[in-house]
Amino acid sequence: MTRITLGSAVLRGTVVTVLMASLMSTSALGAPPVDLSKWSPEYVRSIAGTQNFDTAADCAKVTPLDYKGRLTFWYQGVFEGDPDLLRQYYKDFFDTFRKTYPNIQLEEQALTYNDLLDKFRTALLGNAAPMAVRLQILGGTEFASKGYLEPLKPEDVGYSTDDFWPGAMKAVTWEGVPYGIPTNNETMAFIWNADIFKRAGLDPDKPPATWDDVVKYSKQIHDKLGIAGYGLVARKNAGNTPYRFMPQLWAYGGGVFDEATANPTYEEVELDSPQSKAALQASYDMYVRDKSVPVSALTNQQADNQPLFVAGQLGMMISHPSDYDVMLDLQKKATGTDKDKAQTVIDNMRYGLIPTGPDGKRAVVFGGSNIHILKPEYVEGGKVDEPAAKAIICMWTSPEWSLKMAYAGSNPGNLNGFKTKWMKERLDNIEFLDVTTSMLPYGIPFPALPQAPEIMNIIVPDMLQNALTGAMTVDQAADDAAKRVKELMGGL
Amino acid sequence: MSTIAETAFRGRTRRHMRVDGWRWAGRLFLVFMLLYTAVPMIWMLITSIKSGFAATQFPPQWWPDEPTLASYQKLLDPQNSVGQDFLRFFWNSLFVSTVTTILSVIVAVPAAYAFSRFSFPGRNFLFFAVLLRNMFPAVIFLVPLFILMRVLGLMNTHGSLILTYLTFGLPLAIWLLKGFYDNIPVQLEQAARIDGATRFQAFILIVMPLSTPGIIATAIYSFIGAWNEYIYAYTFLSKNDQLTLPVGIQRFFSENTTDFPGLMAASFMMSVPVVVLFLVLQRYFVRALTEGAVKH
Repeated sequence: MTRITLGSAVLRGTVVTVLMASLMSTSALGAPPVDLSKWSPEYVRSIAGTQNFDTAADCAKVTPLDYKGRLTFWYQGVFEGDPDLLRQYYKDFFDTFRKTYPNIQLEEQALTYNDLLDKFRTALLGNAAPMAVRLQILGGTEFASKGYLEPLKPEDVGYSTDDFWPGAMKAVTWEGVPYGIPTNNETMAFIWNADIFKRAGLDPDKPPATWDDVVKYSKQIHDKLGIAGYGLVARKNAGNTPYRFMPQLWAYGGGVFDEATANPTYEEVELDSPQSKAALQASYDMYVRDKSVPVSALTNQQADNQPLFVAGQLGMMISHPSDYDVMLDLQKKATGTDKDKAQTVIDNMRYGLIPTGPDGKRAVVFGGSNIHILKPEYVEGGKVDEPAAKAIICMWTSPEWSLKMAYAGSNPGNLNGFKTKWMKERLDNIEFLDVTTSMLPYGIPFPALPQAPEIMNIIVPDMLQNALTGAMTVDQAADDAAKRVKELMGGL
Repeated sequence: MSTIAETAFRGRTRRHMRVDGWRWAGRLFLVFMLLYTAVPMIWMLITSIKSGFAATQFPPQWWPDEPTLASYQKLLDPQNSVGQDFLRFFWNSLFVSTVTTILSVIVAVPAAYAFSRFSFPGRNFLFFAVLLRNMFPAVIFLVPLFILMRVLGLMNTHGSLILTYLTFGLPLAIWLLKGFYDNIPVQLEQAARIDGATRFQAFILIVMPLSTPGIIATAIYSFIGAWNEYIYAYTFLSKNDQLTLPVGIQRFFSENTTDFPGLMAASFMMSVPVVVLFLVLQRYFVRALTEGAVKH
């Protein structure tokens, strides 16, 4: 299987340097334990497996292991479609927590990706929230700004702020106060099917270099093979949509605000800029002009693109490293000829860096999740067992568990996780992990604003839908979205 | 030149052909409709016996090369965590739907009878007011009902769902049943009263048996409404051991992937009670539909 050379990729260009400087600038406690300025696949390999951690002993300093208490806890769970490996680690985590803290009565509730935020919002309105919650990275600021969350920083559970990605800490900070701790952080990669590329007359081992190439390749694949070229995702109210469209928008030089710059102020709305419109035009060209993306893109989320990719009906998509594990799972469970066919898909999977814009700018969403403690008045029963909440947060954000819980699809929120033996094992076992870790320095956090969920999950997908359905022209759709963001922000 | 008899014969033949033509067109239409409604069920069944990889293949396999019952085994295996969850969710749904149905019928039968037989001030207004709840989307009531359930201490209990389902099941039940009572001649009750029966006895002995198809149809509607409901169940229940099937089935969707065979097997299993209910009670259901259509 061919793999692209990535060592030099992360060192390329000033974008990385600027972004890294930006990420490090929020460091408060001196030099970070993991040197982010050296970040590269080689560096990650060099630190993997170099340090051991005793999670129970570390967390005992935060909450004694014989502490008696009760905790209600919600989180985005892993379910039937997720890789077996990940499901096993989640099970192991809760088993281990119960063994480590036998006197804490834990009532955990796993919720699905697209429903967690809505259910949590309703529970808050009814003062029936759980004591602790793990939310997608987009959610924290909304709830912190409304006063639902207790201030919470890594030091409160025995770690240092420097143990976490500075960009991730920005996402849990509101008006200078941190309200949560990152559990995992990731950037996605560009995935393509080498066999489809070959049959379409493209270089099977070379991803499109720019987004303009993506449009061109998508058309070529569609015209020659009659299948979808690029896995456009434009469903409304699903986190998957901005995760795939924003890298394109930023690469063209656009943005919702100035979030892609080194020191964003979030003061000027840029959705109606010529660069943003160029990105939207690229999606329009693929969907309307070339018809080279799935016709179902308007209702698709990534879970709908993945089967198309597996079926050899889709040439390219943006996704997590977990897609490779999902394929391994499918292959393992298939029988007879299906097993061989699945192996063929695996053999043809290729991961590469997400394409750049016309000016060489490469960007990807800095994703992940954070864990928070609620204020008692919003919790069912009006009481929060803080030591119990801190115990589970300490354990989840530890180097050991923040790595294991993100094993197949993300990266540890606690940077010390990269030093564990499990990281070494992961590098050895998960194909293409280098690519996704190489994308991390290109990661751009969503604006840490309370309005971010509505902007990203509603307004941006609406803009796409308005343009792609022909309800508005590209210009009108971008202008309309910009206007809606301005109104939402209170007439900036 | 043809005789009058021959002309008449040809005319009758043409009419018969026209009638036969319409009859055949009707039959074809029925076959089409049958296929139209059955194909999704058949496809669901076929997908449920595929492997995860085969379920994503295109062109789709109309019949899997390697059919497997693995998804069903997983769902029905109490030793497996997926099976434990599924069986518990199934039982929870059955419990909530059955209790909702029984309560719906117990309350709707006398209420509908009262609306049908008694005259009291504000009757028409009350009768239409009953339906008001069903004129708005369910989501509007989500937060108010959530707060109400919390105040009542019913959060994370099946009682919260049963009470909520009654709020939209009862109005429909009352409306449906009133229609049936209206169609039962009041003279039958009057005759029973003349024979010495009390109003209650006349209701139990005369009206109830005659309205059985209507009560059963109403019960089926209530059961299906409660069996399929998702939003309230998702919002009011936050404990694994309480969840109902529509919520549990969502677990086959993950952030980036879907377990299609598992989802289809669970969906098929979920449809079984409703199908059995229809098969067992369909003669009552058909009678209810036809009797409700004719004004006596």
